[in-house]
Parts: sequence; C-alpha cells; structure tokens
Amino acid sequence: MTTATPTASQTRVWDLFVRVFHWSLVLSVVLAAASGFLLESRILLLHISAGLAAAALIVARIVWGFTGTTYARFAEFVPAPADIRGHLAGGSRHLGHNPLGALMVLALIVLVLALAVTGLVVLGGVDKSGPMAPWVSYALGSGVLGLHEALAFGILALAALHFAGVVFESRRSQENLARAMVTGVKERRPGDHIAPARRAHPALAVAAIAVLAAGGWAVTASQAARPVPGLPVATLDATYKAACSECHIAYNPSLLPAAAWLGIMAGLKDHFGENATVSAAEAETITAWLTANAAETADTKLAHRLALRITEPPFAITEQRYWKRLHTEIPDAVFANRAVGAQSNCAACHADAEQGRFSPFAIDLPKETLK
Amino acid sequence: MNRLVFTLAALLAAAPAMAQDANDTNAAALIAKFAAEAGITADAEAGKAFFLANQAGGGADTPSCTSCHTADPRAMGEARTGKPIEPMALSVNPKRFTDTAFVDKWFGRNCDSVLGRECTSAEKANVLAYYSSL
Repeated sequence: MTTATPTASQTRVWDLFVRVFHWSLVLSVVLAAASGFLLESRILLLHISAGLAAAALIVARIVWGFTGTTYARFAEFVPAPADIRGHLAGGSRHLGHNPLGALMVLALIVLVLALAVTGLVVLGGVDKSGPMAPWVSYALGSGVLGLHEALAFGILALAALHFAGVVFESRRSQENLARAMVTGVKERRPGDHIAPARRAHPALAVAAIAVLAAGGWAVTASQAARPVPGLPVATLDATYKAACSECHIAYNPSLLPAAAWLGIMAGLKDHFGENATVSAAEAETITAWLTANAAETADTKLAHRLALRITEPPFAITEQRYWKRLHTEIPDAVFANRAVGAQSNCAACHADAEQGRFSPFAIDLPKETLK
Repeated sequence: MNRLVFTLAALLAAAPAMAQDANDTNAAALIAKFAAEAGITADAEAGKAFFLANQAGGGADTPSCTSCHTADPRAMGEARTGKPIEPMALSVNPKRFTDTAFVDKWFGRNCDSVLGRECTSAEKANVLAYYSSL
C-alpha cells in the first residue's frame, strides 16, 4: 500500500486504517463467499475463519468510526434523508463517502455482522461446535442456514452494486475512486463538500478494540466450557464395546434409531451375512443400552439427516442415499485400501466416529490412501 | 479408598477385553477333548483340507475359512469389515486357544457363517491339529 504525500492540490481522505480495513474486508469476504458456496467440509475451517475475520474487521471499523480521522467518522458520512435527495439530484462532489456510498457502508456492516451471527448459530446447532453450541438446537441451526445463505446472496448483490457505484461515480467525477482507496489521497476541487477536520484517537481505538476482543474471547471461552445438550453418549458401555467391536468399529448408538437396534439385535444370527450371536445376558445388557442411547436421544445432524431415517432392514448406514451422497467423491480404492478395509470402517477417516460426532473438522483420509 | 475403588472399576471395565486370555485351556487339551468326543485321532492333513475347502451352505460372502483367515494361517487375516485378525497358527500366535469360551464362541459363529451349521467335533479336532502343526 503506497502512502503518497498529498501535493498542494491534493488532500488526505482515507487514513491507513480505512485503507487496510477496506482491502482486508474485500479479501476476507471473497474467501468466505468462495469457500461457503463451494460447501466443502474440508474448507469449512477456512470459511469460518474468513467470516469471523470479516466480522472482526467490521467491529474494529465501527470503533474507528467513532475515534478515527475526519472521513472515517460516522458523524461525517452517515447521511440525513435530505443529503440523499440532494446527492440524487446531482449535488456537488463529496471528498469522503457520498450519501449513497455511506448507505452501502452501513448495509455492508449490518450484513457482515448478520452473516457472522447466523453462521455461528448454524455452526452451533448443526455441527454442535463454537460458542452457540450450548444454546442452539439442530432444528434452529438448520433453519437459520437458509437465512445465512440468503444473506450471502445479499452480500454478493451489495458487492456488485458497490462495484457498479464506484465505476459510475468515478466516471461522473472524473477520478479513480478505487485508486484513492489505495493511495488515500484525492484531488481538492472548488465546491467540494469538505468536512470539518477531526483528530484521530488511535490509542483510544486500540484500547476499545482490545476490550472488545478480550470480551469476545471471554464469552467464547465461557461458552466452550458449558455442556452441549443433545450430544451422543460419549462413553460406550463396556459390554457393548467388548462384544460388538471385535469385527467392526464400535458404532455409536446414535447412528440408528431404537427400532433399528432392536432389529439388529434380533437378527444377529445373520448379521450382514455372518453369525454374530452373543450370550443372552450380553444381548440383554447391550439391547437396553443401545435403545436407551439411540438416535432419538441425539440432536446431531447425523441423527436427524441419516440415522432417524433408517427404518428398513438390513439397517445398513452405507446403503442410505444421504451417506452415498456425502461419500461420492471417495474413490472405491480408498475403501479397499488396507488402512480402511471397508465402507463400514467410519473411524478410518472420522477420528470422532466412536463418539458419534462426525465433525467436519475431524475428517482425515489415512495417508496410505493418498498415494 | 478412592484409589482402590478406581482400580476395581478399571479392572471391571477391562474384564471383557481380557476374557480372551482366560488361560483355562490350550490347543493340545482342546484337540484331545474334541478328538475324544468324535472318537477319532486328530489329523492335521484333514484339518488343512477342511480349512482350505470351499464350503456350501454358509453365507455368500464367507464360502471358506480362508475368506477371512487367508490361505496361510501364519499370516494376519482380515474380516470383511477391514478389521485385522490375528494369525491362527500356534507357532506365530501362542496366545491362541487358551480360552474355552472364546474358542466355543468363534467356532459357533464362524462354522455357521461358512458352513451354515455347527462344526463337528472331528472337524474342530482336525483344524486345531492343523493350526498346531504349522
């Protein structure tokens, strides 16, 4: 970022903070949008990081709007209705944000913050992660996902409108507004709206941002320590684990509804083609524990989207459309690889399979399969 | 006191995992028992033929002992789920056949999966003799 010294006919409009903020916001919104619309679990962490970075930038920008230099201040650019009418009627040039540009600034601030909040609600309800996890049900999280997506289209529309506005205003006023957002300086012309100069208070701004960051961290940390309702049972019953993980992984009971577990336990003599009978005493303990912790007791995405829909024998998770859709990109060779062995070996790639979490952040193909 | 309770709890929790090592029998004793039941002398060659044969009557995915144990009992096997199975040959896996309940359970399950019936005492005596002869 060049820091041109204004010549006699030029004046500094955008301070360093505003310029760094602007282009960082462009970068983070582009990254968040691109990774979000791709909807890939592997880059979900990038999506969340970019979205939270955009929100953090907005919060800092709001602070700077009360403490920054002349043209960074809300007091300078937030327009009254009469200002908007005057600008639309072809009023004189604004050195800072013109009234329509100012409306765009406000709309983007609201939208980025709304995207961050709805995104955290989705993360909390659907993935049972993040600061909202203790508070949001799956139903609420998945419902808010639609709103989050609508807002995302909204920000794309605003970005397009912003770009068109910059092009239009640059031509109308015979100056390159995008370059001014890089250099920070603009040409001084007779008849400009010139705001009364205000002094910046960078120390106050830094202090306010630090307080907000510490507060945000403290709230997040305190929420992370709260128990999350609706998580699958995390500790497997010893009898179940001993008897049912000799041939395959110990499946979390939240992966099937209670009726399916009853069906599985009643059919152990032909268990996916093999005899897997257990003693009557073991069967009683295992059946009671499985049905008491079945999918009906879990509020996970997996329970709602996959497990609760499994009602027909042979109750095979890998035969479900939802499972197949999520695994279409995995080549057969990966499942056949010795490190995996079969589609039923969830834990080969899902580190948290036994806990029934299947978090998008815990997926890792064994490196033997990547050759 | 807490420590004692914890230790007892840990032992109880680990009990099923240790069941495989009950150490209440061994291959020779089992061969003798099954051979006596069948009224035969255990025959490792007959056991080998039984182990390698393609059987009828069992599950479509498990036509033979070798479906999971591979044709070499000294090698690691693999269940259809991808889970590894320790070798059957006593020479490479001396912990085999030391737990009566474990042996009975897996003969019970796998004979049904492969043959669609229980194994006879003669078949058990022969195949155990084969595993011991390698």
